[in-house]
Amino acid sequence: MSTTLNVVTSQEYKYGFVTDIEADSVAAGLNEDVIRFISAKKGEPEWLLEFRLKAYRHWLTLAEPDWAKVDYPRPDFQKIVYYSAPKAKAPKYASMDEVDPELKRTFEKLGVPIHEQAALAGVAVDVVFDSVSVTTTYKEKLATVGIIFCSFSEAVREHPELVKKYLGSVVPAADNFYAALNSAVFTDGSFVFIPKGVTCPMDLSTYFRINNKESGQFERTLIVAEEGASVSYLEGCTAPQFDTNQLHAAVVELVALDHASIKYSTVQNWYAGDKNGVGGIFNFVTKRGLCKGKGSHISWTQVETGSAITWKYPSCILLGDDSIGEFYSVALTNHKQQADTGTKMVHIGRNTKSTIVSKGISAGDSSNSYRGLVKVQPKAEGARNFSQCDSMLIGHTCSASTFPYIEVQNRSAKVEHEATTSKIGEEQLFYFQQRGIPAEEAISMIINGFCKDVFRELPMEFAVEATKLLSLKLEGSVG
Amino acid sequence: MTSAVASNLLADLLSGPRPAEWDKLREEAETRLARLDLPTTGDEGWKYTDLKALGGITFGPAPEARVDVSSHLLPEMVGTRQVFVNGHHAPHASCVSAVPAGVRFLPLGTASEACHALGTVGPVHNQSPFEDLNTARFEDGAVILVPKNLKVALPLHLLFLTKAETPVAVFPRLLVVLERGAELELVEEHHGEGTYLTGPVVEIRVAEGAVLRHERVQRDSVEAFHLGTLKAEVAKGGQYHSRTLSFGARLSRQQPWVRLAEGAEATLDGLALLGEAQVADTHSFMFHAEPHASSHQLHKCIVDGQARAVFNGQVLVAPKAQGTDARQQSRNLLLSETARVDTKPQLEIYADDVKCSHGATVGALDPEELFYLQSRGLNADDARNLLTYGFAADVLTHIPVASLRRALRQLVMARTQAASLGDLA
Repeated sequence: MSTTLNVVTSQEYKYGFVTDIEADSVAAGLNEDVIRFISAKKGEPEWLLEFRLKAYRHWLTLAEPDWAKVDYPRPDFQKIVYYSAPKAKAPKYASMDEVDPELKRTFEKLGVPIHEQAALAGVAVDVVFDSVSVTTTYKEKLATVGIIFCSFSEAVREHPELVKKYLGSVVPAADNFYAALNSAVFTDGSFVFIPKGVTCPMDLSTYFRINNKESGQFERTLIVAEEGASVSYLEGCTAPQFDTNQLHAAVVELVALDHASIKYSTVQNWYAGDKNGVGGIFNFVTKRGLCKGKGSHISWTQVETGSAITWKYPSCILLGDDSIGEFYSVALTNHKQQADTGTKMVHIGRNTKSTIVSKGISAGDSSNSYRGLVKVQPKAEGARNFSQCDSMLIGHTCSASTFPYIEVQNRSAKVEHEATTSKIGEEQLFYFQQRGIPAEEAISMIINGFCKDVFRELPMEFAVEATKLLSLKLEGSVG
Repeated sequence: MTSAVASNLLADLLSGPRPAEWDKLREEAETRLARLDLPTTGDEGWKYTDLKALGGITFGPAPEARVDVSSHLLPEMVGTRQVFVNGHHAPHASCVSAVPAGVRFLPLGTASEACHALGTVGPVHNQSPFEDLNTARFEDGAVILVPKNLKVALPLHLLFLTKAETPVAVFPRLLVVLERGAELELVEEHHGEGTYLTGPVVEIRVAEGAVLRHERVQRDSVEAFHLGTLKAEVAKGGQYHSRTLSFGARLSRQQPWVRLAEGAEATLDGLALLGEAQVADTHSFMFHAEPHASSHQLHKCIVDGQARAVFNGQVLVAPKAQGTDARQQSRNLLLSETARVDTKPQLEIYADDVKCSHGATVGALDPEELFYLQSRGLNADDARNLLTYGFAADVLTHIPVASLRRALRQLVMARTQAASLGDLA
């Protein structure tokens, strides 16, 4: 079996190329002037600059966290370029024809079907290229039902009252080291507002792309669903191949009011470094949803296959009575990748429910950890949690760890956690091969079966993509 | 040398037996202690267990005393017991007339063979200063040596009693060595009255093919602090099975560490029955260092009042430990509004051909089960008590010493108010 296993995982990164667009950048380094520059460049109101400066001053007092089971050279924050925007002919394009052809070619290579949007009905894409939102589609159609879907900068300009009300309300500026850094220097991102009673007629989607060498990306996403509203949001990522590590410290905040529902799906496939662990993205993300209202519902689904280092815990604060939090995750690591990912479910309201399904697959020399917290506060009468964390190991030089924290302070709570670790059995493979299915395909089928509980939570297009991605990522590792 | 922890916590203690061989061991412990302070909840290993309560108390040396131990004797072990009162060996209360020839079952002070073996099992616990405190300050304890292929028929009984008029500290030390193919059952009990700190350290070596069954009963006073460390190395094909039953202490912490060699087996079961403001913390470390070893852990906590149960169970599978089978369960029952459980089962796996699983549950009694019993004529209280007793009894069932099993069942019945249901023990 080992020969086949080894042949399969060594696929080079398909999306490694650099687009040459003259960037409008600030010099590397971080100080209050850089923050003022970013804020001025974006024409921000005074309160937002204050928010940034406050975050920066707090960040200075914080130490970089070291509790995660990951090992990497600490980034030099003075060597990072905190602002770079693609040179645009006009603040916004009237149509796709006006978009820089170079940029369009990049998207074509990436397979982002931006010029086929009309045909690909149902998905509106807000493309973030480096740090500035270039084009937003379907905005008008969404606007007719009162939905706001735009870049974060635009939201600051057009809807400052909404941004001011919700920004930092879920992830406070002082939350943690990377969230504070993001709050100080974030350049752009997405903003979604679904008004009362509206069900978003299509899945909303943003493709992020890191382009400029040495430019860390600090995205800020804020999604607000008012009473009875619902939305499904898709985030997908690919990045070009670089040798220097790139830092990505995004913050995503979700707010669900009474009976609102937000479904957030991610497929993450950033450059993971080469086989020897050179290069690759550092993905230090703070994602948190607040189930603020009664009966609200937030669901995170993630397929994490890229990045050299992943440090990511999409969480739910279940504040409203009867609110529901969900976390479905597949994390695959190969070669020298290291992932420390999981979730936090904080039960505050009565009869709150949470479900955690996490599937970790480690191959090569990688390290894959699940780290989670289920916390039931004293007033969370009738809280219920179910967690299932499974790991699969492919090869004997990788590792899989599970660190679930369970804190229960209410006796009526019912909390269950299960975890298993195993490998693909030789008998299983033999069974497939006996029926004429080659080992490589058999492994892909076994992995897909292992991840099925998560994949079926993904929107259809993503589920297809995720299945392909896993097979691709594991090519050469099995045999 | 003055150590920060020791000088804050302890008055000068009497020095016990100090063979020269232990000087180095004690010195090294003192050196480490000098750099340590009491852990706080800011330390990951002590996140849920606050030692602040220790801060205001100065624990003095414990005087030798005579006590009546008749109520603690177990019929199976009348002639195989060593008793320690306030940390000192109590010859008047001990009796080893039934210990088979060849078995060494001695107080530490008289066992010269223990000098070189002490302090050699496992690494020094780096998350807490209590092991080092013991090493630096232990005065007495016991040594058990079972020679090759000897299967000891009678269980051995170790009884640690502490009677404190004023706050005292005791640091019992225990060394258990089973040579190849030996078998032993050991019962270790801790009882006490008053406010005291006990910091026992148990070192165990199980040689190839040897089998040790270890029952540990902690019935310290509810004013006491019990901060124990246990380290066991189990050689190829050896077995170590332990069951720790915690009933007493205002704050207790058990830190078992077990290393398994090829094909070795280990069980670390536990039951904590807590009420009022008690805190019971178990931090276990199961180290699968070599292939084909198996380990099982079932840890149960019943938490009432404002009590708090903490469990942190780490399982580490080394890269070469292929064929490992590791199972761990943390089951917790909350009986009151203000009870609290913090549990963290942890797996760290570096080998691929393994079967590892862990599970954790926290909850109250199942209303359907209560209904079922009530539909058969039990009143609500009896139904609740019976289920609570049943939850605990699971861990007690396999205690091999009949009188101990019965005594503990009765204790659990009394504590779970199940006694009114008749004698279930």
